[in-house]
Amino acid sequence: MLKVEEYKHQAETCVRCSYCKFVDLNWVKSSRFSRQCPIDTRYRFNLYSAHGLLHSALAELSGKLEFTPKLMDALWHCTLCGGCDTKCKRNLDVEVLQVIETLRCRCVEQGKGPLPEHKMLADNVKSSHNIYGADPKERLNWLPPDIKPAKKADILYFVGDPMSYRWPELAQATAKILGKAGAKFMVLEDEWSSGHELFATGQLAPAKEMADHNTKAIKDSGAKTVITSDAECYKTLKVDYPKIMEKSTEDMPYTVLHITEYIDQLMQDGKFKFNRRVPMKVTYHDPCNLGRLAEPWYHWEPKYEPPNIAVGKTWRRGEKGVYEPPRNILKGIRGLELIEMERIWDNAWCCGYGGGVGTAFPDFALWTAGERIEEAITTGAEAIVSSCPHCKDILGRAADANNTGIKVYDITEVMLRAIR
Amino acid sequence: MSIPREAYQTLQSIVGPEWVSDDPAICEADRYCSLSSPSDEQRRPGCSIEPASTEEVQAIVKVANRYKIPYVCTSTFYSAGTYARKDDSILIDLKRMNEIEIDEKNLYAIVGPGVAFSALQADLLKRGLITFVPGCGGNSSVLANTVNMGDAPIGWRYGLGYQRLLGVEWVLPDGEMLKMGSLSMSDDYFWGEGPGPDLRGLLRGCAGHQSRLGIVTKIGVKIFPFVSEELEPMGWAFHSFMKLPPNRFKWYNIRFYSREDAINAMFEIGRSEIGLVVMTVPPIFRSVARTRGVGCGGFWEAWKENGPKIKPNQEDLRVLLYGIGSDKRLEYEEKVLLDIVKDFGGSPREAPCRDETNFMAADAICANVVGGRFSSEVSYESINQAVRYSRVVNEITEKYKPRILEDYGTTNWVCPYELGYIAKMECLRMSSVENRDALDKWHDDVHKFCATGGGSTIFPEDEIFGPVWGNYPEKEAKIRALFDPNHVSAPQ
Repeated sequence: MLKVEEYKHQAETCVRCSYCKFVDLNWVKSSRFSRQCPIDTRYRFNLYSAHGLLHSALAELSGKLEFTPKLMDALWHCTLCGGCDTKCKRNLDVEVLQVIETLRCRCVEQGKGPLPEHKMLADNVKSSHNIYGADPKERLNWLPPDIKPAKKADILYFVGDPMSYRWPELAQATAKILGKAGAKFMVLEDEWSSGHELFATGQLAPAKEMADHNTKAIKDSGAKTVITSDAECYKTLKVDYPKIMEKSTEDMPYTVLHITEYIDQLMQDGKFKFNRRVPMKVTYHDPCNLGRLAEPWYHWEPKYEPPNIAVGKTWRRGEKGVYEPPRNILKGIRGLELIEMERIWDNAWCCGYGGGVGTAFPDFALWTAGERIEEAITTGAEAIVSSCPHCKDILGRAADANNTGIKVYDITEVMLRAIR
Repeated sequence: MSIPREAYQTLQSIVGPEWVSDDPAICEADRYCSLSSPSDEQRRPGCSIEPASTEEVQAIVKVANRYKIPYVCTSTFYSAGTYARKDDSILIDLKRMNEIEIDEKNLYAIVGPGVAFSALQADLLKRGLITFVPGCGGNSSVLANTVNMGDAPIGWRYGLGYQRLLGVEWVLPDGEMLKMGSLSMSDDYFWGEGPGPDLRGLLRGCAGHQSRLGIVTKIGVKIFPFVSEELEPMGWAFHSFMKLPPNRFKWYNIRFYSREDAINAMFEIGRSEIGLVVMTVPPIFRSVARTRGVGCGGFWEAWKENGPKIKPNQEDLRVLLYGIGSDKRLEYEEKVLLDIVKDFGGSPREAPCRDETNFMAADAICANVVGGRFSSEVSYESINQAVRYSRVVNEITEKYKPRILEDYGTTNWVCPYELGYIAKMECLRMSSVENRDALDKWHDDVHKFCATGGGSTIFPEDEIFGPVWGNYPEKEAKIRALFDPNHVSAPQ
């Protein structure tokens, strides 16, 4: 959460040019897929855009505006995908996303937010340390008898709530891939929710509790490397935890790797190879939390010199996300053909689930995912692959809802098919 | 006070309740258009409405007239003056009207006001066609920009955008429809002239339509043949570019050691009818462009080191050669250019064959990173007038330093169009957010000179320019009274 002075400064720097609404202009390949911001594309009023929310932030701060029904609607429909943020940093270097996140926090602080669906997540986490309110004793139920994590290892597999409880097959795929790659790994017996949605919905107190617990548990485990195949967990452990602790990513007692980074590195080192053909034409969807939002966090105490020089600040402009490893993996599988969509890398269109939107506004999430499915279909691919369970879920539902016939996979499923 | 309930309900019935709102947050977000400093002049609208068709626009405008409610329109919101100046106005946001029709055979496109240049350009490039993208960037509206001025770097060859305005569908201030050009006779946007008087000048008024005389809902715009090769995008958003086919394009940066030589070379390039883009490159412009990805601090670090080394009389030209129709043509253009450069003692250097800011994106907004606020004064006239204007603006600038940031006298940009027939001079000055008032005073001084010194500008102040420019505000007022008897179309 930005401190008030910095929050105001960032919001004031916006000149409302609307660049935040478009895919980087040099990357626009068609009018149909030229937009970047889901809420702007669907709802069109300027309030439903980064510059609208930034201006609202200023107006709210100065007492000219309250959290009206429409402001609440726009604020909580935002998927926090960060597309606006990376576009703004072509021209203005405004910390767009941080202002929107802070506006959410202010909304929560004033008791106007979050939405009931988001409060329920916090209630669940409080009672059972997972967002579903499921029995914490069942957290490791995903582990089949043939997968036996080590008691002690340098690598710790952080599974996350979605794969522990909702999609155990993806956790199993991840564990099997690690096993095939010869990686000895352990899991936390007392893993708590990563707190991803709590961070996203401005519920910082319970989110901090999750961060403190998991960080200590990881540190106590002795593991130095944390591997996850959940993009949301990845971003939360890498960015949100150090951010709330007012540290930089490099100061955390662990290094986080997405499974695709880990396997890609083994491939580059000649220590791993996919040995089974997977004849399939696929396109790849960059999850926001693994792409533009996944850059390391650099703690910075605001300090400016005239005219507007941010002294000692390391910028996060979206280029240090995990873009190439999943692509390298897909390209490394024999028989598999990767065809790119129009909006890729830091220009990727969001799946629609993030920012608490999948929880509170499933219809809008489905609409956003439907847009992505339509884009995927134009490539001629028979399947869309992503690296995040929620991306897979919402894209799959959108594909089914529209009877498109396109298949949706998590990358761990594709990787497992490519291993004998 | 607010929009009368009955009027609001009628608006809801026109567009559906989803597309009109009087929620204070919706209205507040529509209060300040881009590129304008927030001020009391900009009022929060009483409601915002998003029509999807010309018929809906007409109906809204008729409601506004019936209830005598002021209205103003906007579209992509990257606008430079369309905001409500009266309380409880209707803000008509046209961005849902984003239809594009491309007539490849007859080389024109039909667009609604919500179509951004980048969207049209992308659809055109796929077909081996091109339109201009203005220097402010491809996030601006094709319709709004074309109706106003439509200057763009490739205007060197293709001229100013407003000259490419063809058939026009225009909802007059009272809601009646006026169709212009060939559209007035049939469903055809092919030409803009006649029958009868050509009314396109009415649209532009003194310096652009600015929504003050009704709402243009659709236009035909001329497009041009272009290369069929893909301009492949590369790089992260903050410093992306498009690769140009090297058999058809070549960039040259040419350094001249006297401004006079550079200007004369520019004239000669025009006389020789070569090039797609020809312009001067003030060092600060180049540095601003390189700011992408390094931020304000990176700019000043470089500028403080390099700025003082700039030789005041040195001038750089940037020329994009274009093999129109064939590779041979590119070879010819290169030979001619290098001959001209030699004649005027310039040093040519070939630059990477790519485009960052002419076909899709632009650097205009980037200038804010460097300062915090910038003002860019513009004059359209001849190349010679641009040189004179530049000199005077530099003198005025000295009065306001250091609150206006140090530019070492180099921030004036000459961008000619129509092979040098007309030229834009753009003078960029920057300040911190806190010193914005210095920019405002500088702006007033520049306009006072511009009014008497020749050249057409954008956003002329009536009180400065009116007496000098044939009392145009009075004439415009008479025209408005005729077309807008209820004084509801973007009143000031």
